[in-house]
Amino acid sequence: MLSLRDLTFSFLKPDGTPATESPTLNRVNLDIDQGKFILVCGPTGSGKSTLLKVINGLAPSFTGGAISGEVIIDGKNLTGRAPHEFASLVGFVNQQPEGSFVADRVLDEIVYGAEQLGVDEATISKNLAEITAILDIEDLLQRNLDSLSGGQQQRVAIAAALIAGQKILLLDEPTSALDQQGAGKVLAVLKKLTQEHGVTVLLAEHRISRVISAVDELLVVNGDGSVSLGPVEDQFKDARFAPPIIELGLKLGWQPLEVTAENANKRWQEKPKTFTPINPNPAAEKLLTLDQLSVKFADLLALDETNLEFFGNQITAVMGDNGSGKTTLCWAIQGLGQKTTGRVSMQEGETADLAKASRLDLIAMVPQRAADLLFLNSLAEEFSESDSFSQQPQGTTANLFQKLAGRIDSSMHPRDLSAGQQLALVLSIQLAKSAKVLLLDEPTRGLDYAAKRALAKQLKQLIEPNRSIILASHDVEFVALVADRVILLKNGKVVSDQIVGKALNYSSPLASQLAQISQTEGLIRLDQVSA
Amino acid sequence: MKNNPFNAQNTNPATWWLVGICLAVLASLTTSALLLLFIAVGSMLIVLLCRDQSSWSKSIKFYLLLAIAVVLIRVIFRIIFNLETAPSNPILVLPSLEISLGFGSSLRLFGAISATSLMAAITDGLRLAAIILSMGMANSLANPRKLLRQTPGALYEIATAISIAINLAPQLISSLNRVRRARKLRGESKGLRALPGLVIPVLEDTIDQSMALAASMAARGFGRRSEASSLRIGATRFTGLTATTLLALGATLLLISPQNQALDLILLLSGLSASVIYIRLSALGASRTRFVKAKWRYPDFLLIGVSVSLLILGFSGVIL
Repeated sequence: MLSLRDLTFSFLKPDGTPATESPTLNRVNLDIDQGKFILVCGPTGSGKSTLLKVINGLAPSFTGGAISGEVIIDGKNLTGRAPHEFASLVGFVNQQPEGSFVADRVLDEIVYGAEQLGVDEATISKNLAEITAILDIEDLLQRNLDSLSGGQQQRVAIAAALIAGQKILLLDEPTSALDQQGAGKVLAVLKKLTQEHGVTVLLAEHRISRVISAVDELLVVNGDGSVSLGPVEDQFKDARFAPPIIELGLKLGWQPLEVTAENANKRWQEKPKTFTPINPNPAAEKLLTLDQLSVKFADLLALDETNLEFFGNQITAVMGDNGSGKTTLCWAIQGLGQKTTGRVSMQEGETADLAKASRLDLIAMVPQRAADLLFLNSLAEEFSESDSFSQQPQGTTANLFQKLAGRIDSSMHPRDLSAGQQLALVLSIQLAKSAKVLLLDEPTRGLDYAAKRALAKQLKQLIEPNRSIILASHDVEFVALVADRVILLKNGKVVSDQIVGKALNYSSPLASQLAQISQTEGLIRLDQVSA
Repeated sequence: MKNNPFNAQNTNPATWWLVGICLAVLASLTTSALLLLFIAVGSMLIVLLCRDQSSWSKSIKFYLLLAIAVVLIRVIFRIIFNLETAPSNPILVLPSLEISLGFGSSLRLFGAISATSLMAAITDGLRLAAIILSMGMANSLANPRKLLRQTPGALYEIATAISIAINLAPQLISSLNRVRRARKLRGESKGLRALPGLVIPVLEDTIDQSMALAASMAARGFGRRSEASSLRIGATRFTGLTATTLLALGATLLLISPQNQALDLILLLSGLSASVIYIRLSALGASRTRFVKAKWRYPDFLLIGVSVSLLILGFSGVIL
């Protein structure tokens, strides 16, 4: 179905020399059979996306770069051809479906590709009926795309990618912006496409844990130009990007590794390990009080008379599905967002009465797209801008950054940093004046497991008796790593408020992967288990 | 509203442009203030009765404000730059103001103004307002994306560029809002230093978005060409250009000097036939199919019929 022969790809500098020492993909040989469901994984920047783009012609056509070797699809050698020559064989789905839509109505969007490829009308109607039935979007055809949920949009994008009868489907992090429910439905559909309809699926993902039990094989892009394809349990030699289930197996020396929660549970039951209970940081002084806080958009009550208290020395995670009010809560506490009713008070008084500058000093926030706050040309410039703006001695921000991210050449451009380093930079800028409340909105978006662990460590360093850290997240494993307390929101209301060990417990809908495996009260994360 | 057969959802977007153009031509031909008022109010009413929920249907508000402003400015200018000297029956008498320009005669502002002069100004203003509103109606009721789907094959690339621009505009606004809100978190920098902080992330977003969209289109087959000979491509472009030139020339002549109607009509008709040839040529050997076709139904024919009849009545002098 799909073969790569001695495929080498490197990005080039403007002068035509290779941009990196070794090629992004180096003499790759691969054979993938029809109907396989393959997870493509590897550390951030290892070349997962590049590999997918080579298979649909976007690299080198769109990305630039030099290619050698052969890309053979369905018996045709397509190496170096333009993407539209791949289009009738390979479908492609992007990370953000809304950014790649060309139409405004679902029906028009789905048939676009088939129209471009000149597929005749009878075949389009037949394919349309079939694919919309598989993806369960028959009722959405006349709707406008922007009225759909993220999960529905992603299913429409999949239908659009397969409308011309393509037998290979490539997906670049399709579930990263979806909540548990939306992602689950997308995965179920992909599984059905491979098993019942013979579509070959290559799925690149960061958040491996929820995908790993659904796939047939794992394709690891190692980052040194090599790739390896094989059964999931043979593929994790290093734990840099391994999900908790694999980490557990590695830690306990399981041979072979288990990939489904069910099997791992059996294995655990045979020989349960002792573990240390979680000791949440004890709450210090009360730093922040929300009193009847409400936010209303047009006709939607995004936050409904919320009463909460936040304490120093603690990290509180605010969880909930997309649209439950997590982001709204952050902005409402910060006070720069939309109009709110109710009160937000600190020891210094009600925040509404404080001057804007002192409110910014007391409450620091890192928004979803942290890089939005960066605009200067080097780290050094960002540091000195931050120091002078917050009226701190020169070097304050730089020291904080070094503490979080290690030593990094300060002449570097902030946009050349990795996503994790950018986050650390924004954290140190926002905390230059040592704020008492730190808000983070979905900080793990786009981070791989290694970067998440680094961020967890950084946040723990920032814990102080006189600081309360609040993070909005739907990333259960990350919350298990850092949080002391978990608040669950649903439709703008607080539905539970518990310590982390209880909130992510095996019986909870938010159970962490280790909790699901061990089915043991109070065990939620790996570092509790002794090897 | 959805059950209304004339609703923008149920009609062909091209219909509204045809109706709009007919009304605008009629407005430019007539000197009757009553007919102009009828066209202006009629266009507004049509929008209110037929619009759907789309965002561009709200744009009629701006056309209305513009139209009112045009009438007011026209009348105010007439009162200020009053060229009449001592009309026999003034309806408005203001003290006049002489300004010496230092050369020639002096400039006189304000003064007495007659009913006829004021009425002429109102009619002039109304004519522009009627044209603005009839175009505004077309713009508010015709979904630009739907309209672009109907463009003939040879214009396909241009139509695609326009539809990308339409897609990116709301995204540009939302990323600007997002970045502005985020920037407030860091505290405002002063003056010019603040500008790159706003522009760079928005620009980056826009470029990323356009690249993602272009990649998604290419990956779905956009850019495939039929194996047309260069001769046919050349011929297609030539007829296209000829058709546009003839149509523009005919329309312009008709609007500036409606006396020589025979020549104008010949130009227009040959322009029309050239466009038909052009559309046929460009559709020849098309490599794309059209699964979702724009439909023409009785409300479309009715609307176009009524507006063309109005236009013919206008030309023949019955209702001018």
